[in-house]
Amino acid sequence: MATIIRVRKLHKQFQVLVRRAGLGGALVNLVKPRYQVVRAVNDVSFDLQAGELVGYLGPNGAGKSTTIKVLTGLLVPTSGEVVIGGLVPWQARERYVRGIGVVFGNRTTLWWDLPVIDSLELLQPMYDIPRERFRSNLAEFTRLLDLEPFLNTPVRSLSLGQRMRADLCAALMHEPALLFLDEPTIGLDVVAKEHIRQFILHINRARGVTVLLTTHDLSDVERLCERVLILDRGQLLYDGSLSSLNHRFESFWTLKVDFEEEYGDVALPGLEPPARTGLQAVYRFDHRSVPSAELIARLLERFRIADLEVRRPPLEETIRRIYQEKLLEREDADKRA
Amino acid sequence: MNMRLFFHVLKLAVLQQTTYRTALIAGLVTNFFFGLFRAAVITALYHQQGQINGLTLEGAITYVAIGQAMISFLFLFGSYDLMMTVYNGSIATDLIRPMPLFSLWLAKDFGAALVNLLMRGVLLLFFFGLFYKVALPPRAADWLLTALSLLLGWLVSFAWRFLVNLTSFWTPDARGIGRGAFIFSQLLSGFLIPLRLYPDWFARICHLTPFPAMFNTGMEVYLGAVRGAELWRSLGIQAVWFAALAGACFAMMRAGVRRLVIQGG
Repeated sequence: MATIIRVRKLHKQFQVLVRRAGLGGALVNLVKPRYQVVRAVNDVSFDLQAGELVGYLGPNGAGKSTTIKVLTGLLVPTSGEVVIGGLVPWQARERYVRGIGVVFGNRTTLWWDLPVIDSLELLQPMYDIPRERFRSNLAEFTRLLDLEPFLNTPVRSLSLGQRMRADLCAALMHEPALLFLDEPTIGLDVVAKEHIRQFILHINRARGVTVLLTTHDLSDVERLCERVLILDRGQLLYDGSLSSLNHRFESFWTLKVDFEEEYGDVALPGLEPPARTGLQAVYRFDHRSVPSAELIARLLERFRIADLEVRRPPLEETIRRIYQEKLLEREDADKRA
Repeated sequence: MNMRLFFHVLKLAVLQQTTYRTALIAGLVTNFFFGLFRAAVITALYHQQGQINGLTLEGAITYVAIGQAMISFLFLFGSYDLMMTVYNGSIATDLIRPMPLFSLWLAKDFGAALVNLLMRGVLLLFFFGLFYKVALPPRAADWLLTALSLLLGWLVSFAWRFLVNLTSFWTPDARGIGRGAFIFSQLLSGFLIPLRLYPDWFARICHLTPFPAMFNTGMEVYLGAVRGAELWRSLGIQAVWFAALAGACFAMMRAGVRRLVIQGG
């Protein structure tokens, strides 16, 4: 597979004015401004292969949007190398953006006061899309995104879900090989999210469009991405498959047990004592050292049990632990040791 | 430049501007009543004098009327649209499209200007004509030359406003710069007071700046104050000022693109 995005040692720093408090401080600010350097993106490197669908994750302020802005040619990085489809995004911007599609979830590229169709038709001369091709793309995306009911509605009157679908269409009319999605499901309800996810999957599978998407919604990632990049405070913490992330960091599973009768002591040797409420007990266990089947067998031997439920932690929790406990850094240190 | 794209953006800008009906009417009413007020002041100023520096009272009233009609076409009070997109971050959605920022805004601005000319300018002149005698260019050729000069004036105005807006790439509050700059251009363009009514030395300073090319030249062509070779020279000066300001815009964009910080997540 061909490398479509190549990022090496990317750094982006901002100078932020530090304001002193109070009236006197405001005067001092005017005369002698003091700046602080914020490292929004710090030594980030990765590659994307053509056809991949990759999730770019991180808490607020992690540097996700800054990275996307550099990759779409909007920001010039402080240092580092970015080559996308053979071009450097911030040089020859107009030539570069012909080959990419971009959706910013919290902004629209459509003309606010005009019907959706007007903004879409502008794309034909803008990208020199052959008319036949333009018509067939418009028909296909209208069908897939169900745009028909509001093609003639002014953009300002659309619901958020409708607007996002129209923006996705506007990002893809010129058939870019690469699509950047910055929070494409932000603020949407479950049905609208699912519609957009299906569409993203479709264009990735059927049209082979490479997709890099940032999101806060981990169900987006679980549904769409095989590979994730996790960023925190400007640094890349993880780059790999979602399943190996689960395997490595979902160490503690829980087993919820409903007993048939009251027992005095339900602790199992080698496990921490369970949390109990009435007839129920919840065990936490490391599924890599104690398989759940073995645990259940041991419980059934000793107690009369009405019901059992094994739970994997949700991805949210895994990711939160990665941020909080810096698990990945420790792993690296272990490897080096 | 891709002309088909330019005209398509122009078309959308026209459609967009016509959706702002209430603003168009409010602007028309304001410009109209302020025009009557200014005409009254000029009448008092002339106080029975036949002419001042070669400008008759009727000429001066016409100057005021056309000036009020041109406010919305030439955006004489300035515009802040581009800097707004820098501050709210929506410039990002323009920069991810393969169209030069300058021609994008040129097309958008011209669309809005055309709608303003027809719906505010022409109507204002009509209503003004009910109260005062407004002189009209006598021949079709004069109308054509006036249109050409006004078009060049709009180009100069656009490049000047674009340049002022570009300062938003450097400073977090270019609005203050804009307010100062646009007062300055109103004064030196001859919009507030006809340049012929200024003291000679001040008028001469004005003519060293691009601002008379924005407004005063179009007025003089309309009134027939410049003719023959002098007229063509005036049009040439307008074109040169547009080229110079546009060049400054491109130089500033090249320098500023590294400074640009796109706001918002």
